[in-house]
Amino acid sequence: MKAGASHGREAMLFLAAPFLVAAALLVGLPALLALGLAFTEYDALSAPRFVGAAHFLRLWDDPLFWTALGNSLLFAALAVPLRLALALGLALLLHKGGRLARSAVFLPTVVPDIAYALLWLWLLNPLYGPLALGLKAVGVADSGWLLTPWGARGALVALTVFQLGEVFVVLLAARRELPEELYELCELEGGGALTVFRRVTLPLMAPTLALLAARDVVVSLQTTFVPALVITQGGPRYATTFLPLYIYQNGFEYLRLGYASAMTWVMFLVTAAMVAAQLWVLRGWRASREA
Amino acid sequence: MPSPVRLLRSTSRVLLVGVLVALFLAPLVVMFTGSLRPPGLPPPRGVELLPQGAGLAAYASTFERVPFGRALLNSVLLAAIMVPLSVITASWAGLALAQTSGWRWRTLAGAVLLLVMVPATAVWLTRFAVFKVLGLTGTAVPLVAPALMGGSPLFVLLYAVAFRRLPQELFEAARLEGAGPLRLWRSIALPLVRPTTAAVALLAFGLSWSNFIDPLLYLSGEDALTAPLALHALELLGSTQWPVLLAGAVVVTLPAVLAFLGAQRLFLGEERGSGWLGR
Repeated sequence: MKAGASHGREAMLFLAAPFLVAAALLVGLPALLALGLAFTEYDALSAPRFVGAAHFLRLWDDPLFWTALGNSLLFAALAVPLRLALALGLALLLHKGGRLARSAVFLPTVVPDIAYALLWLWLLNPLYGPLALGLKAVGVADSGWLLTPWGARGALVALTVFQLGEVFVVLLAARRELPEELYELCELEGGGALTVFRRVTLPLMAPTLALLAARDVVVSLQTTFVPALVITQGGPRYATTFLPLYIYQNGFEYLRLGYASAMTWVMFLVTAAMVAAQLWVLRGWRASREA
Repeated sequence: MPSPVRLLRSTSRVLLVGVLVALFLAPLVVMFTGSLRPPGLPPPRGVELLPQGAGLAAYASTFERVPFGRALLNSVLLAAIMVPLSVITASWAGLALAQTSGWRWRTLAGAVLLLVMVPATAVWLTRFAVFKVLGLTGTAVPLVAPALMGGSPLFVLLYAVAFRRLPQELFEAARLEGAGPLRLWRSIALPLVRPTTAAVALLAFGLSWSNFIDPLLYLSGEDALTAPLALHALELLGSTQWPVLLAGAVVVTLPAVLAFLGAQRLFLGEERGSGWLGR
C-alpha cells in the first residue's frame, strides 16, 4: 500500500516533462551551442570555421569589451543595493494600510520596457522634457544629463530602480510573515524604531534580501538592454555600452556570432561568480549567527 | 484624544506616503497629459499640467503612421496563447516540484534554479541560431516557445510554494482512489490555489505583452508587428512629435496597467500571508 502511494508521488515528475524539455531546448542547448560557437568563426551565412581560442584572446585585447563589462558591473553595483534598499524601505512603510500607495509603487513596473524607455527619453530631454522645464522653473538651468557619461549612467540607474515592483512585493510578503508578537514585545521594552529594525526586522529578513540580491544581479544584467538601446544608444563615449548591448551589436548587427558567443560565456561566468559570492556570504553570515 | 507626538508621527507618515505616491505616479501622469497635446505645435516653453487645447488628435495620428490596430491584435493573440500555456506548464512543473523527492526533486529544483540564474541575454544569440536552422524565424513559434517552460522559472517557484502549503493528505487520499497525476492537478491542486493562478496569469500577461526583444529579433514586416514593435517603429520613423510618441506609449501601456489594476488585490492585499505567495 505504502509503496503504491509513493510510486504515485514519483509519477508526478511526468508533469514537469514539458518544462524540462523546453528548458533543455531553449536554454540548455543554446548555452552549449554558444560554448561551441565561441571557438569558431561564424556569420550565420557560411558554415562555422574552427579558430581555437582566438576569440578569447581577442576579447582580452578589446578595450570596448572591458568597457562594457565594467559598465555592467558598475550598473549592478549601483542599481541592486539602491533598488533593494528602496524596496525594503517602502515595504516596511507600506505593509500596513494604504493599498493605493502600494499600487502606485508597483505601477512603473507594469509599463512595457519600450514604452518606459521612450517615456524617460522624453522626460530627460534637455530642451523640452518636463524634468528640464520643471528644473528651469525653479532656477536650475543645467539639464543635459544624458550628454555626460556619469549623467547618462545615473539616469539609467534611476529609471530602472523605479521598476522595483517584484522586489517590493516579495519583501512585503516576507514582512507580513514576521511574527507580530515580536514587535509588540519590542514596543513593551521601549526599543526605538532603529533598534527594532536592526535587531528584529533586518536579521529575520536577511535571507530573503540575499536571495533577492542574487536574483537582482542577474536581472540587472539584462534590464539595461532596452534603455541603453533606446535612450542612450550606448553613449556618450560608450559610457552606457553594457554587455548585452555589445553582444547584440556584435551578434546581430556585425554578424560576428562566434565572437559574441565568447562574450556571452564570459557574461555567464561573471553572473555565476557574483551569485556564488553572494550565496557564500549568506552562508557565512548564517553560520556566524548560529554559532 | 491621541497624544501630540503620535499625531505628529502619523501626519508625517501620511505626508511621506503622499510624496512617494506622487513620485511614483508622476511619470505616468505626465506621459498621459503629454499625449493629450495637439501634435504639430512647437514644444512647450514651461511646465504645463494640462496642455492647451487638449484632445485625442495625437492618438489618431499614431494609428495613421504605423498599423497599430493590427499590432494590438497580434499582441492580444500572442497573449491569448501564452498566458494559458504558461499557467498550465508552470503549474505542472510546480506541482511536480512540490510533490517529488530524492533525485527527481534535485533534478527539477536544480533546473529551476539554473534557469533563474541564466540571464535571458546570455542565450538569445544561439537560441536564434537554433530557430534559424529549424526554419522557424519569422513565425510566432520562437515567441510562444518560452511559455512551454512556464514563461519564467519564477512562476514555477510560485506554484511550488503554493502547492507545498496544501495538506498532503488530500493528495494521498486521491491517489489511493487511483487518481493519476493529471487528475490530481485538475481536480485537487489547481482549484485550491486560485490566487496564485491569477497572479501567475497576470505576470505571464505582462511578460508576453511587453516582450520587446523577441519580436525584434524574430519578426519582420508590417503584418507581424506586435504592440511594442509598433511603438519602436513609430520612434524609428524619426518623429519629433512627442505627443504622437507619447500617445503610442499610452496605447501600449494601458492594457498592462488595466490588467494590473484588475488583479492588484491579489498581490498587494492586506491579509497576512496573502499576496503572490498566497495560500
